[in-house]
Amino acid sequence: MDFTFDEEQRLAAQSLRELLNDHCQGSDLRRAANARDLPSFEAACATRRARLAELGLAGALVPAEQGGLGLGVVDFVLLAEEAGRAALPEPLVDVEGVAHPLLATLGELGESTLQETLVGSALVLSAAPGTTVLANAAFAQYLLLSRRDDELALYRASDISLTHRESVDPLRRLSEVALHDAKPIARVTGATTSSAWQAARARSTVLNAAQLLGLGARMLEIAVAYSLERKQFGKAIGSNQAVKHALADVMVKLEFARPVVYAAAATLAPVRVAHAAVAAAEAADRAARAAIQVHGAMGYSWEVDLQFYAKRAWALAGLNGGRSAQFAAVHQSLLRGELEAQWA
Amino acid sequence: MAIDLQYTPKQHALRAEARAWLEANVPREPLPSYDTAEGFEAHRHWETKLHSDRWSMVTWPQEYGGRGLDLIEWLIFEEEYYRVDAPGRVNQNGVFLFGPILMEYGTPEQKSRFLPRLASGADIWAQVWSEPQAGSDLAALRTTAIRDGDDYVINGHKIWSTRAVYADWGFGLFRTDGASERHRGLSYVVVPLRTPGVTVRGIPQLDGESGFAEIFFENARVPVANRIGDEGRGWSIAMATAGFERGLMLRSPARFQRTAQRLIELYRREELTRREQQTAPIDPGVAATVTQCWMDAEAYALSTYMTASRLIAGGSIGAEASLNKIFWSELDLSMHRAALAILGARAELRGLAGVEGVALAKAADEATRWMDGFLFSLAGPIYAGANEIQRNIIADRVLGMPKG
Repeated sequence: MDFTFDEEQRLAAQSLRELLNDHCQGSDLRRAANARDLPSFEAACATRRARLAELGLAGALVPAEQGGLGLGVVDFVLLAEEAGRAALPEPLVDVEGVAHPLLATLGELGESTLQETLVGSALVLSAAPGTTVLANAAFAQYLLLSRRDDELALYRASDISLTHRESVDPLRRLSEVALHDAKPIARVTGATTSSAWQAARARSTVLNAAQLLGLGARMLEIAVAYSLERKQFGKAIGSNQAVKHALADVMVKLEFARPVVYAAAATLAPVRVAHAAVAAAEAADRAARAAIQVHGAMGYSWEVDLQFYAKRAWALAGLNGGRSAQFAAVHQSLLRGELEAQWA
Repeated sequence: MAIDLQYTPKQHALRAEARAWLEANVPREPLPSYDTAEGFEAHRHWETKLHSDRWSMVTWPQEYGGRGLDLIEWLIFEEEYYRVDAPGRVNQNGVFLFGPILMEYGTPEQKSRFLPRLASGADIWAQVWSEPQAGSDLAALRTTAIRDGDDYVINGHKIWSTRAVYADWGFGLFRTDGASERHRGLSYVVVPLRTPGVTVRGIPQLDGESGFAEIFFENARVPVANRIGDEGRGWSIAMATAGFERGLMLRSPARFQRTAQRLIELYRREELTRREQQTAPIDPGVAATVTQCWMDAEAYALSTYMTASRLIAGGSIGAEASLNKIFWSELDLSMHRAALAILGARAELRGLAGVEGVALAKAADEATRWMDGFLFSLAGPIYAGANEIQRNIIADRVLGMPKG
């Protein structure tokens, strides 16, 4: 029993944080958010994308024998948290945490595509069965999609009907995905396919929870900084207990969601994953709520960068069934008598 | 080492050993409340029993009667302890608060004088800190211990001293420099509670029992040898978490996981009954609270394992103590409120002790346990530093917000 991250895991997160400190500040996000069209959006993100590619995270969760790094979700969870902290517009988590390892399950059928995407000359994303809207699909060359749970199919993005949709988060470029009668490049069916989707959903859920932790922590920092800067009645508003206690409560929520997310990443046990989604969404939501309130009227303005983090949090909180479905999943386990402490 | 949430063979072996011992030795019937004379002695006897096989203070070094276990092993022991609903620890404050202070600051003479008797339950200890005008603002305390030859002469009034009604000794903070103010001029002194000049008066709690007491000192004399650490250094000694885990060990997660488990059992049983009797289902809001409570109890356990792992790896405890306090105290309250909501009209029934096999008596026994737990859970957000103070600590020391 050792519930600590190792040096390598911490250092990887540290280098991503440094990169994002340099290339993913509020001003960088605002530049992308203000882009009028896809090419100018891509131009605003170009430097950061190039730097991210140099980080060597491609294929992080792909088995080593298929050209990946052979890491586990637990090795990626701190990276996802950093991506959240920065409200990173690039789909690092969706690609490395979800799509790449899913593509790897196609084996030889997906081999050439995998090699192409691992070297970065193409981008692959995935949308679990039942998902109709996918972020960043407009930038992808390949899509992993399916009509049902026991089917996994790889398509060229150019063969799929993608319709641009607006997100509340100006940094999430959404596309409505319609399969129509598109022909896949590769396709597998059967029970192992269902479990591949199930695993992809679990990775996506827990890594989004990690992003929510990062987003929540960032919003708390922004709120604290503003409460020190803003003066009313001749003193910083952060010296008032009403403000202090609201932000202390956010910290409590965040710090007790954190071990749940890490344990979910380490075990991938379904109840832990669902719990992580609930706890992280709740903590990030509370952080957004408190941070906006602390900013007063500024919090309701387009001008403060806080909006980028809050909107990302609201968007992510709804994915993979959202908080209510995840909560219901935990509750169903409880009704079935499956919830006990492991020592009980 | 990367995250590994599996127990080692050694940890499994410890669990098995603790489980076997507890199952063989835990009293078959719950002991009477330790806030009665009879119950206090029964609990003292249990402390002695635990000590006879070195289970009374498992994290203490072997030389003092402990097992030298690390924090993860302590968590395992606690899980086994709560699993069998073993008796409450009447010497909790002595074991977890005073013992570690004595080991760090006591002289060899003080250690050999106090530690063995503490460990065996021969002496039960109470904390003597608060005063009528010094609660959250502890540094406002005014009870003096003025040097007179080889003695301190103590005068003043302490209050809210848990277990002091029947305890043998108290450890506390006293003003040894009568002219001093605030944090200066305080010393950490231990006092026998059954000595001339010391009057202990129980204060009935919300549950009707005298779990805490006020203590009046009128020219009570204690030897200077009863001072722990240097004169005038009492504040920093009292506040020192220096290397030991007060914030972690005050309430172990197993306690709340066990309550959550009982709450789930209550909920499932009630749900089944209502379905069979075709009466109105449990309020979905209460059902959601039950689920939330299970999640929070797990979160607290995982958090404690994470902190324990970090401390074992050489880290130190910081703001976790304040975060923990807020989290578990609110969780405990929430669990008991949910239970009372499920019990409905049964919740107010008081136990009919000794009437076995009668349906109403069983219901009353169950209701009493939840109601007593609820009443005690109301104290959680108040004792050991009110939650408002904990929020101030988090804001000031962790978030770096300015003092008001």
